[in-house]
Amino acid sequence: MTTSPFQVTSRLVKDVAIVYPRGYLNNLSGEYLVNECGRHAQAGLKKIVVNFHETDLINSIGISFLLNVMEDLQTAGGTLCFTEMKKVHLDTFEMLGLTKYFLFFPDEEAALTALDARKR
Amino acid sequence: MELRKALYNISALGDLGVETTSEKNFQEKLDSLLHVVLGTFLAGKGAIAYREKPASEISFVARKGFHDLSVGDIDLGPLLAAGRNRPYHPAGNEALAGAGVEVITPLWERNDFIGFVLLGKKFTAEPYTGEDLEMLGMIAHQIAITLKNHALFHHVTEQLEENRKLYEEMRRIYHDTLQAFAAAIDAKDLYTKHHSQRVAKYSVAIARELGWSEHDIEGIYVAGFLHDVGKLVISNEILNKKTPFTPDEMKEMRRHSLLSYKIISQIKFPWKDVEKIVKHHHERLDGTGYPDALSREDLSEGAKILTLADSFDAMTSERAYRKKMDVRKALAELKNCLHKQFDDRILLAFCKVLDKEIRGELPEPDILPHIERGSDLSVISALLEGLIEELSGDSREA
Ligand SMILES: [Fe+2]
Ligand SMILES: [Fe+2]
Repeated sequence: MTTSPFQVTSRLVKDVAIVYPRGYLNNLSGEYLVNECGRHAQAGLKKIVVNFHETDLINSIGISFLLNVMEDLQTAGGTLCFTEMKKVHLDTFEMLGLTKYFLFFPDEEAALTALDARKR
Repeated sequence: MELRKALYNISALGDLGVETTSEKNFQEKLDSLLHVVLGTFLAGKGAIAYREKPASEISFVARKGFHDLSVGDIDLGPLLAAGRNRPYHPAGNEALAGAGVEVITPLWERNDFIGFVLLGKKFTAEPYTGEDLEMLGMIAHQIAITLKNHALFHHVTEQLEENRKLYEEMRRIYHDTLQAFAAAIDAKDLYTKHHSQRVAKYSVAIARELGWSEHDIEGIYVAGFLHDVGKLVISNEILNKKTPFTPDEMKEMRRHSLLSYKIISQIKFPWKDVEKIVKHHHERLDGTGYPDALSREDLSEGAKILTLADSFDAMTSERAYRKKMDVRKALAELKNCLHKQFDDRILLAFCKVLDKEIRGELPEPDILPHIERGSDLSVISALLEGLIEELSGDSREA
């Protein structure tokens, strides 16, 4: 059992990396998230799904890091999807005008199906 | 929509508060502050530049992007002329425009200019609104306060360190001076070479065994060093005489402890009673010592320690008129003179020190190695244990 207040784990489903940030998305944890996504991008994966099911809070620092992930993936020509984001966080993204830059899905299934459909 | 934006801004100010007051180290704090700013305005690039002291150079302390930009390229003129903590769009600055800086905010706390914050364009490519700049101004002031607090704290820490160094230096000079004095005394009397240093050392060991504070221990160390300083006034002829003293010569010799007292009374020591301890190092418990013929109750513990340390070193050193004694004989002699000359509590403590030395329980064994090189320590050990048991019984009865 880990005592870390925030951890990032991930798993692969074919050519898609699903990343699970847990807890409080802020400074240190944001860095973990960026690194974890960067690791997959470096391995040549261009589709990343971030599952927010276990993320309690995304504050301004967290948003800064998510933009970071997005920028990195954009330069690599990849796609970033968010799933299971809480309503309050979705509202924030909408208010900030960010919804058009990310793909939002209710769950992993929907995200994977959509990503698969994208594949020619 | 407006309400949600306002709430987001309020929560960003909350994040800022959390970060500025967190226990994180300064660099982590700066990184977090930068991310609060980036996240609040959705900026992809940003930097915080800061100078710790008014005279020092400004440098980047946190940044994301802008890595090719150097502070030297930025014209500080317009920045200083701008409103305090008021963000603006820099115009006509090639370095800033080239790097993609959209907004620059000079950081001020009270009347001190301490740095600036740079922000690149928004992720959404939307322009910064008047509201954004107003919000950024508030955040900038918070950052300025954090930086200033750090600078103040740093300054105080630096001064403390400076004072500590000065104090250390003073102590060092002080000790060097004492050593020089002791060397002068010991040089005068060929047979008592390093006597003062050893008496100081033995006295410290006994005082520590008796549970003295480090401050008081330092005092007795100094007393040990200076106890015979009065001998500087006694003529070499008498000091180095190889035959027994005449009554007059003896009288002259005995002046030294009072002379020591008079000399060191001129010095203002940070330790209590150094001069008194020195004055009484030839007093005896039975009241037959000099110069004041004090008795047991009138003598301080410090004087009793110094007396024993002094006698022990005298016995175990070679003198002009006799050979040196070995430790066993010296201990027997000390025991013989108990109650007349020496205090049993002090002798007990001294025996414990020697015992610990033999057991290797002292960090720097320093007494026996000096006098008993190559002798059979087990014999001394047995003797010490007997003495310790006997004296422990004595002090319980007392
Ligand atoms: Fe003396
Ligand atoms: Fe002496």
